[in-house]
Amino acid sequence: MRSLSIALAVARKDLASEWRTRELVPALAQFVVLALVIANFGFQFDSRTAPAIAPGVLWMTLVFAGLVAFGRAFAAEREQASLEAMLLTPAAPAAIFAGKALAAALLLVVCEAVLLPALALFFNVPLSFEVVSAVLLATIGMAVLGCLFAAMVARVRARELLLPLLTLPLWIPFIVIGGQAVQVGMGAGSGGTSSATSLLIDLDILFVVLTSLVARFVLDD
Amino acid sequence: MSAVVASALSQRFGIEVALDAVDLTVDTGEHLAVLGENGAGKTTLLRIIATAARPTSGSIAIFGLDASSERRRLRARIGYVAHTPGLYLALSAAENLEFFCALQGVDRGRVAEVLDLVGLGDVAGRPAGKLSRGAQQRLAIGRAVLHDPALLVLDEPDASLDSGGADLLARVMRDRTAVIATHDHALANRLCPRTMELRHGRVAGVPTRLRIVQ
Amino acid sequence: MTSRLNVFEKAALGAVALMVVAAGFIFVFAPQDALQGPVQRIFYLHVSSAIAAYGCFAVVLIGGIVYLWKENPTADRLARAGALVGLVFTTVTLVMGMIWAKPIWGTFWTWDARLTSTLVLWIIYAGYLMVRRLAEPGRQAARFAAVVGIFGFIDVPVVHFSVTWWRTVHPGPVVINDALPAEMLVAFLITMACTLFLAAVMIAIRYRIEVLTDQAADRIVAAAVAVPSKAGSTR
Repeated sequence: MRSLSIALAVARKDLASEWRTRELVPALAQFVVLALVIANFGFQFDSRTAPAIAPGVLWMTLVFAGLVAFGRAFAAEREQASLEAMLLTPAAPAAIFAGKALAAALLLVVCEAVLLPALALFFNVPLSFEVVSAVLLATIGMAVLGCLFAAMVARVRARELLLPLLTLPLWIPFIVIGGQAVQVGMGAGSGGTSSATSLLIDLDILFVVLTSLVARFVLDD
Repeated sequence: MSAVVASALSQRFGIEVALDAVDLTVDTGEHLAVLGENGAGKTTLLRIIATAARPTSGSIAIFGLDASSERRRLRARIGYVAHTPGLYLALSAAENLEFFCALQGVDRGRVAEVLDLVGLGDVAGRPAGKLSRGAQQRLAIGRAVLHDPALLVLDEPDASLDSGGADLLARVMRDRTAVIATHDHALANRLCPRTMELRHGRVAGVPTRLRIVQ
Repeated sequence: MTSRLNVFEKAALGAVALMVVAAGFIFVFAPQDALQGPVQRIFYLHVSSAIAAYGCFAVVLIGGIVYLWKENPTADRLARAGALVGLVFTTVTLVMGMIWAKPIWGTFWTWDARLTSTLVLWIIYAGYLMVRRLAEPGRQAARFAAVVGIFGFIDVPVVHFSVTWWRTVHPGPVVINDALPAEMLVAFLITMACTLFLAAVMIAIRYRIEVLTDQAADRIVAAAVAVPSKAGSTR
């Protein structure tokens, strides 16, 4: 499994870089907390409305934190002009892409580890297994899609504008299904979460397969 | 045998023509310098030879293999130093090379060897971002020869090299086929028996074919 | 007089004539809806446009896949044409739907699954055209757009099945469920055939424009490379 070891090497490299510089995760964690503070002013929060509003706040925050995290994953490579050096090795572009997406997803998970407890603490909503699993499952699919388009816009003009424009519409299924699961988990909405979990897994598989098929067209010339 | 055989290479970006019908042959072991002003098409040509870009039209074979369909195989035999060093600035010099060992499938023992070759043995543990421009360029050259490539493609490697840079270039080019882009005619004549000039994406004049020193 | 027209002009005239025929079926042949009254007549063009849009985006999908596979410029031009025409028909679908919704639902817009997913469809293909404009012209623009077209098409089945997957206020599939009286069905099928023909003609014309645009770029390039040859090329 040479591709697997390459993907892991790429992910390890990105995580090591982040650990040394600590430029993304601390900033994103602050952003996440700030988003909750802003939401507090924007919505009428009380014990009754919290379960209805908190899921929305969660996904809004997650989506924008994700855009930043995935955008950074390839913006850093572009600024250092290092992506090409990686591609000009016998390593498969799809393996390189998988490593980048894995690292970016893990960094977002770290932010989620701040976001979810903060949400539970500030808005007094329960943090159940369903909520956490829905968020984590959505993160996988969002990461592969986000990184694919981040890799694309890193090579395009007006990239700051284009990334949300391309990514957000395709993230909507994750937000719809994950959002429903979180609403149920937080005591609003109705219905079970088991179908949501399996749907999220289906979507993850679909997008992981699709992105690995097209990654080389986006990365390589 | 020829290491690089290219015919009628053209590269277009929309209505912009970067390279127009360039023919090129580089023999195995030969050192060729590509001269020309900024925007003459040097980088475009070198990127095509390094398999970083594919031409809009024309064909190129490297070591007898088609450069677009056999890219992955060829990349194991080509070393490329781009315009910018393209290093991971937060990682140390050694870590940068170790990462590329993993990508190239080369043993990590090669790292120390290469660091000594490019004269960075003392600063192996320093983050690449903390190295001088010259040292960064040396590291990029070291990365390009990590996997002992048979063909070396160097895009203005002298741009930020310190004193002794020309010696380093001569050392890494020895026993390899090399194509090097530069502004510096003196350096080109020193390193390469043959030079070729690009002007507006075309070959200017007849390549001066001096004797190939092996 | 018409003998001087080229094939595209003839096809365009034919498409317009067919749309007039369709209008006849919609407004004269089809009976008035007992509940909704005249507004119901929007249904014929609304659904036909939606189906035409699906078809256009299928062209984008197939053109994209073929381009990635074979790097065939024809496939890319077809995809370009399909995206633009599909966007036009999605716009028509949305606008007609809103005009229908105002008297029936009492509001132009509601966050219903089908309305939302159709709006998302519009945004995706607007993004497709944006990528085309911002990417480096040539292979990069074609490839990036192909990728967006492949992922974007996922929303088409979502739009189509949204009325069955979610509880929505949008009317369900009346045509395949045999819920339509015979005259209405005939009017619908004729409108749909005419609309699909119109869409095909629009794609063909747009394709022709793309070919001419590419040829114009080629001529500019040919003229540009002809100049420096005086400076002593060895060719």
